[in-house]
Amino acid sequence: MSEQALLSVENLVVDYGRRHRRVQAVSGVSFAVPERQTLGLVGESGSGKSTTGRCVSFVQRPTGGTVRFAGTDLSTLPARELRRARTKLQMVFQDPISSLNPRRKVIDIVAEPLAIWGGVNRKEMMRRAADMLEAVGMDPAVTGNRRPGELSGGQCQRISVARALMLEPALLVCDEPVSALDVSVQAQILNLLTDLKERYGLTMLFIAHDLAVVKATSDRVAVMYLGKLCELGPVEDLYLSPQHPYSAALVDAVPVPDPRRPVAGPPLSGDMPSPADPPSGCRFRTRCPFAQDICAIEEPPLEEIAPGHLVACHFPTSSR
Amino acid sequence: MTKSRSGLAAAFPAATELHDPLLEVVDLATSFQTPRGLVRAVDGVSLTLARSRTLGVVGETGSGKTVLIRSIMGLLPRHGVQRSGKVIFAGRDLGALGERDLRRVWGTEMAMVFQDPMTALNPVVRIGRQLTESLRLRAGLDRKAAIETAVALLESVGIASPRERLRSYPHELSGGMRQRVMIAIALACGPKLLLADEPTTGLDVTVQAQVLDVLGTQQAERSMAMILVTHDLGVVATRADSIAVMYAGRVVESASTAVIFDSAKMPYTEALMRSIPRLDAPPGARLAAIPGRPPDLTTVPTGCAFAPRCAYVTERCIHETPPLTESAPGHYHACWNPVGSPEGEQAFSTNLAKGVMAAVEIAQREVRK
Repeated sequence: MSEQALLSVENLVVDYGRRHRRVQAVSGVSFAVPERQTLGLVGESGSGKSTTGRCVSFVQRPTGGTVRFAGTDLSTLPARELRRARTKLQMVFQDPISSLNPRRKVIDIVAEPLAIWGGVNRKEMMRRAADMLEAVGMDPAVTGNRRPGELSGGQCQRISVARALMLEPALLVCDEPVSALDVSVQAQILNLLTDLKERYGLTMLFIAHDLAVVKATSDRVAVMYLGKLCELGPVEDLYLSPQHPYSAALVDAVPVPDPRRPVAGPPLSGDMPSPADPPSGCRFRTRCPFAQDICAIEEPPLEEIAPGHLVACHFPTSSR
Repeated sequence: MTKSRSGLAAAFPAATELHDPLLEVVDLATSFQTPRGLVRAVDGVSLTLARSRTLGVVGETGSGKTVLIRSIMGLLPRHGVQRSGKVIFAGRDLGALGERDLRRVWGTEMAMVFQDPMTALNPVVRIGRQLTESLRLRAGLDRKAAIETAVALLESVGIASPRERLRSYPHELSGGMRQRVMIAIALACGPKLLLADEPTTGLDVTVQAQVLDVLGTQQAERSMAMILVTHDLGVVATRADSIAVMYAGRVVESASTAVIFDSAKMPYTEALMRSIPRLDAPPGARLAAIPGRPPDLTTVPTGCAFAPRCAYVTERCIHETPPLTESAPGHYHACWNPVGSPEGEQAFSTNLAKGVMAAVEIAQREVRK
């Protein structure tokens, strides 16, 4: 990649459990996110997308591979410096209500990161927290003294975003930030994230299971299945001509608000195999309509088929 | 002569009976007494549903859609509830039935699929027993027959190796499988009406498509009527015959699905449609979000409840509540300045000039196209 990547992940591996109960949630994922860009990470539950997100913000240590942030390999940093580096890597979680402390006031939740990292007096802290609440579209005078339980899911998600931005991070990892919200509120939060990204010059890793949601926010999209990347490319290319059959299935699964459009083909059949015992060769072959013998024997490598468009499939759409 | 006619009538039920709606809800209202005051969750809803048809009920969280279908079924708490209006199901007024009689209707004639299968299923009971329970109790099958039926049911909702699955506990299944088990339980005694409350919220889009397909095929096979409740118009676009849009406890627009999508009159319906992220949207397009949020149901403002968030709002909307009127056969809406009408156009351009949030959001999207 020619542009300077703010975040680069190389051959990330994450194992859970020990010995025979070992499960590999992420098996060798590599990608890079240039500064001020958004990478969407899409896949079903169990694809390892959240685990990848957690490793990127170092909420969790990877088993193998490297995560470079602004050129530094985070795993080489001593604990103190890692803590400091992580202020620049913030996260927004899926469930807006349970990710906020129900007993604390909104203004204190938002001010907390400053309280930890210090450097400012209480008055300044409260002023900055109030400014940030304004920035995410909330009235600090009205909501500042409330507690999360009194607020709606959309408002709680705004507070999570405000909290994440308090330390002026360079990278924001959003793990399914809108999947628990109504479509109307979902649009508010997506617009808010787009605005804030521009205002604060953020780089984002945006994790979701819905390709339409990712399309609204991302520049490039990475599709994950069972711990591996199957396709990575510019968002337009990926939805106009998805090359991997799994990406194509994700595109088809997005409900289209048009009653005349027939329901697209049979949806992806079956469930995702257990990551404890992944299929040989291509991991998607058990659910793939185009699987051949070779797919069971040889694992397809992630190859560039067009500039910036990578696919891991023996029979990508354009070759069929 | 007379005799043969009556014989015929017995063999072929009168035409009126067949065309009678399966479900008729008349002016249904449900309120809850809470410490904060009276919550009018459902505030005068009327609707009809014909046999083997699907009605989509669409609205945001807090619009009263869940309370509506719980009121239809009679699944409400015993205390602190005020309920009025009528629910006529297959010719009987359900409001007049006692709990014993209602229990006979539940499961066998109308059944419900709940939103969250993890909390709706009993976590410490194997799914086999949860499935066969109603078969043995209601349908009166013996153990063996009930198990065979349960296997067939699981198979019909697309669960692989159903016989082994009967011995699983809910936590051993994925979210999509649990929801399919919930559907199988609801279908067990062959209900005439299935009430599905956000059956796919919280599921992956791929699994959502699978679960909706299962609901669709089962409905067609069993010629069962269905009410599909959702907050996403995209979900019901291809799956419902007609749609009722709810806001603050009322139906604000209802029509056949095609009419709703082609010529929505109510600004709220239009706004819901615009807020859906679409794959075919141009790059960098901004979503038209609905600013604000639904009103608190303890203090619903006078006038139109949607007025504070509406792009077409005028002075009149704040003072007078628009009635639900029939603008075309079968198309009802409650709005003073409907979308596409001269009043609506004028209200919108005035609001845009004034910088009303909702109008600006829509205009921004149009420009970026």
